[in-house]
Amino acid sequence: MTVWLIFLFAALGTYLIRISGVVLLRDPEKIPAPIRRALRMVGPAAMGAIIVNALFLDHGEWRAFGAWHLAAVVAIGVALWRRSQGWSMLAGAVAFAALIASGL
Amino acid sequence: MTRRPVLRIAPKQWADAWDGLKAISPLMVGSAIFGVAFGALVRDVGIDPWAGFFGTATVVAGASQIAIVEAIRAGAPAIVAILTAVLINARFALYSAALAPAWAGFPLRWRLALAYLMTDQAAVVAMKEADDPDPVRRRWFAMGAALPFVLVWFAGTAIGLILGPVIPDKWQVGFIVPLMFIAVLVPGLRKPAELVTIAVAAAVVLLGRTWPFALNVFFGIVAGMIAGASFEAWQEQRRAAPRPEQEEPA
Repeated sequence: MTVWLIFLFAALGTYLIRISGVVLLRDPEKIPAPIRRALRMVGPAAMGAIIVNALFLDHGEWRAFGAWHLAAVVAIGVALWRRSQGWSMLAGAVAFAALIASGL
Repeated sequence: MTRRPVLRIAPKQWADAWDGLKAISPLMVGSAIFGVAFGALVRDVGIDPWAGFFGTATVVAGASQIAIVEAIRAGAPAIVAILTAVLINARFALYSAALAPAWAGFPLRWRLALAYLMTDQAAVVAMKEADDPDPVRRRWFAMGAALPFVLVWFAGTAIGLILGPVIPDKWQVGFIVPLMFIAVLVPGLRKPAELVTIAVAAAVVLLGRTWPFALNVFFGIVAGMIAGASFEAWQEQRRAAPRPEQEEPA
């Protein structure tokens, strides 16, 4: 029962956060220009933070250097070269699988 | 050949939704695999599979769901599990504020539905069309990306719950998380201000690695946004300012 309630309250809290800007915020046109400018950066900021957190850290500790870092370099390289999400995903996944299979 | 509405949705709207689906499609496999991993984790911890699926269907945010299950496994108090999840999801407030101007004209039920379906990936994809002048296209594009992505997440969770831990640990499927976000972020990178944003976000994430509740990620995002915006404002100011030699009389 507790598990259901934990999920329920986490869901309610998360939904309130999700509607905070798009529903609860009145007059989004009136957001001051500097804040608007900062909000336009949310994509790279969030993606960058999540990538670095997942790639370099593991439960608050440094992740040992290996397949994760090398496969990420491949994915980033292909993403910059082809400018394509699909090729980046594919190259990163293939590189990671090869590195794991080779015992890294 | 006459083109007729399908499910009372006009061909133009289907086309806009299809564009959204195409924009997010490379990430769909990642969503499914991450879902399977979450479902398997629920089984592994011994949580009622129905409760696990309820979590996926209501929270709709993978990282926070994993944190909840880990907190339950560690025997943490319920309030800690809930707070951890909510803090991990605090970043959605930033997406929501960023999308607010572009979505302001949408009917309320659309905003409520799109908010429920909001994921990192769908929010970032929706932002790519935020400047399109047609609000109807904007909302169908956003829905076309958000809904299938979440449905795949549901399906992946269900498969993981049914099959249990079929994916061996040594495959380290957790790599799908950075990989998906690299695929979202990197192909579109062009501006120096974006690189400043990422560098500062990364530095704060690493410096704050011992902070609880994934606060390093949240504050990393905020710091990155402020740094990137400040850099961009400084760039514009510098471009607008007259050069010193032009000020001197001839």
